Amino acid sequence: MLDKPASALRIRERLIESERLMDETGCYDGITELKLRNQDPLKFETLHTKLRAYCVSAREMARRISASPGVREVGEMVVAIYTPEGDAIALSNGIMVHVHTMSRFIKWMIRNGYEENPRINDGDIFANNDAFIGTVQVPDVIDVMPIFHSGKLVGWAGAVCHELEAGGITPGGDVALAQERFTEGLFVCAEKVGQNDELRRDYVIRCERNLRMPIYWVLDEKAKVASCIDMRESVKSLIDEIGLDYWMQVSKEFIEEGRRAQLARTRQLTVPGIYRGHTFYGHVTAGKPGYQPLGDPDWLYNMPIEMEITSDGKIIMDFEGTQPWGYHSMNCTPAGMDGGMFVTLTQHMNFEGLVNDGAWMATELKLPHGTWTNPDSEMVATATSWALLLPAYGVFQRLLSRSFIARGFVEEAFVGQVNSPMIEMGGTSQYGKLFGMAHFECAAAGSGALAIKDGLDTAYVGWNPESDMGNIEIWEQNMPMLYIGRSIVPNSGGAGKYRGGCSFLSTWLVSKTGHLRLVTSEHSSRVFDNGGLCGGYPAPTCQKHRAVRNSNIFELAEKGTPLAHHTGTNPYRSELEVRLEGEHVTLEGPYITAPHKTGDVFTHSYNGGGGYGDVLERDPVKTAWDVENGFLTKEAAEGIFGIVLDEDEEGFPVANLDATKRHRAEMRARRLARAKPVSEWIANERDRVKAADFAPEVKKMYASAIKLSPRFSRDFSTFWNVDAKSTFGVE
Amino acid sequence: MTSYSKEVISDLVAGTLPWPQTRRIMSAYKDDDRFFKYVAVLQDRVGWKDPILLPVGDHLFICQSGDERVTKCECGHSFGDYRKNWKLNASIIVRDSEETLREIYPNSDLPDPDWMEIREFICPECSTLHEVEAAAPGYPIVHDFQPDLEGFYRDWLGKPLEPLIRGG
Repeated sequence: MLDKPASALRIRERLIESERLMDETGCYDGITELKLRNQDPLKFETLHTKLRAYCVSAREMARRISASPGVREVGEMVVAIYTPEGDAIALSNGIMVHVHTMSRFIKWMIRNGYEENPRINDGDIFANNDAFIGTVQVPDVIDVMPIFHSGKLVGWAGAVCHELEAGGITPGGDVALAQERFTEGLFVCAEKVGQNDELRRDYVIRCERNLRMPIYWVLDEKAKVASCIDMRESVKSLIDEIGLDYWMQVSKEFIEEGRRAQLARTRQLTVPGIYRGHTFYGHVTAGKPGYQPLGDPDWLYNMPIEMEITSDGKIIMDFEGTQPWGYHSMNCTPAGMDGGMFVTLTQHMNFEGLVNDGAWMATELKLPHGTWTNPDSEMVATATSWALLLPAYGVFQRLLSRSFIARGFVEEAFVGQVNSPMIEMGGTSQYGKLFGMAHFECAAAGSGALAIKDGLDTAYVGWNPESDMGNIEIWEQNMPMLYIGRSIVPNSGGAGKYRGGCSFLSTWLVSKTGHLRLVTSEHSSRVFDNGGLCGGYPAPTCQKHRAVRNSNIFELAEKGTPLAHHTGTNPYRSELEVRLEGEHVTLEGPYITAPHKTGDVFTHSYNGGGGYGDVLERDPVKTAWDVENGFLTKEAAEGIFGIVLDEDEEGFPVANLDATKRHRAEMRARRLARAKPVSEWIANERDRVKAADFAPEVKKMYASAIKLSPRFSRDFSTFWNVDAKSTFGVE
Repeated sequence: MTSYSKEVISDLVAGTLPWPQTRRIMSAYKDDDRFFKYVAVLQDRVGWKDPILLPVGDHLFICQSGDERVTKCECGHSFGDYRKNWKLNASIIVRDSEETLREIYPNSDLPDPDWMEIREFICPECSTLHEVEAAAPGYPIVHDFQPDLEGFYRDWLGKPLEPLIRGG
């Protein structure tokens, strides 16, 4: 007989007991010894791999049921298997950010007496997309189903899809215009939406009547239920094979092993100490239609992060000094912050696949109450929380990377993720029907550079390690726009010895519609929301939108005149302006304007990643290849990297190594001539700080951080030798 | 136990190891003897004798310099006591105008210099660009990394450092 048979306790008491045991022993559920692993390590590992296989297979099957190009094409889905208390044992690939948000959802139901009402029975389906219960944002709709064996609750199967339409104030899933919870769309708050393995008809009707494009949500629901049933039946068969007592013990040992593995890996790959970094995010909405005057229309957020790696290998992330939540859609709940941590860890430290909630238990997040990371009101909107999450966890990746570099694991150092600007749309489709959709080609940004090579071009996002932009033809089936260009943006990766991955830009012709609303989100204005590392520059991530209304594109096409397929490389006059006539629009901040119609042209640019190392060390030969293939311009090669390129007899760029050496020597000399000692700069800058001579948004940012954070206030005062509070008028 | 030769580590650090081999190293179990081989590779690279204790950047090292532990540039320039922020003893170029930002970002939309500036921290001796900050004007310079150097050597590497005779 094993120590811990399937418990006779009610699940709520069991959850409390499990947490108490963790507090008392420091080990998950009080498991201080991995008995089953020690007894038969091969059986233990085989079972863990089997569970992962159940998850991967269930997700792949479910993707074929979905109608959404987000799930089918881009893989915006993840599934996982949980303990009865709601801790993840095994998970699939996909949007792994949700493995821990689902855990929070299950625990929320247990803590809130769901055993009594509405009861938890075999065949029940529970759904949730409320971030304060457990998800990241409204479009991330979770379904979980209990797993019963021999009349006992023995686990949960869970699945999440990111919905392309959520029925909010603006169309699409990431509801950019939401400024409060009440405009975010259709909420399902830990609701029993099905019984006996079947979704309730009244729930489906609610979805059908409250969404612009219900086919995505409803078929995704069916896909999730199918995957949960598939995992549930697989687990039940496995329990038949290994016995219930063994299952109850081994599932917990997997998690405790995951916790220990994470601690051991941190000790193996990093260096203990304190790591610091920051990034910023700017938002500009003054004068845009639809925004309610609830807060400042334009604002700047700072995101300072202090990471401590303790001597036992625990990673503690502290967000003290960041900004308060606001009346915008970018706030994040602790569930979302957990999710960001989890998905980053799975990519950076738990790359062998057998990862579970144990990894998360070896970390700690310090989320100051009242900030965007942990709002003190549950009425705030979180519909586009990735806008701040991605930059923040990009900082985390750079901090971790510095530790990898210190320890020698340079191949793991990675300058990190960048924001993934999204387009949401709705109105009348090319088929004359109501439609709404999030365009998910953003799932293929440029990545940050590595410490040994350039970043990935158009092939990475932080929230889904299976990055994919999807096929043009599939997107065109789902929206009234046709691609007239999808192009690499030259120089869009941050410069460095190793450059960041480049982004791409799409150019569309609005087609067969008289009413297309386009709304964008998750892109910073006026500031870069990413960084470089070890001398690399941040990627240019404050792009504006460019469009042409009432263009003459059909006339040009008829005449066979060349069209604009991208915006080009002249920042002062885009290709659209050069080649198209019509009403030209250049818009800063979220693109929220009057509807478009057939004949309009719209462009949207994604983000490249930050660079690594000193630009003057970049390989000239690699750079010639970059210029030849459109990742860098010749002007950038010479002006930024100091690389002189000639042309061969066929006109291809070739590095001139001697001229490069001379040019770089001059550039180094210019650097020294231009630079001043930091002490001198601080002395001069102090006068400006003392006078608080900053833009109103910058002043407001400092005042908010100083008011909320004694540490920020102290550090600011110490650094500039001023009284931070009186400088910014903080009481 | 996974282990690689010093030559392989040297090529890996230099970014010259062929990609298939690099990929295998990334996918394999990590080599527990990496740190001291890595330090040996870097020690061969620098032109000075002070023992490297911990790399903290691409060309920045904490090293034992006589009785002191200092942060040093690869060229040999010392930024002083490793516990202090080396950036405060560096040189700086600040890009806070359209003209200077455009030099690095030739074709993209630029940050508003009233909201963000680019700060380049360079070695005053060899001009190596060690770190770049993108920050709001007035934002304090960040102290990137304060390693628990003694704890690392003692508890994680099992090779305690000699006690310091005097500060630094």
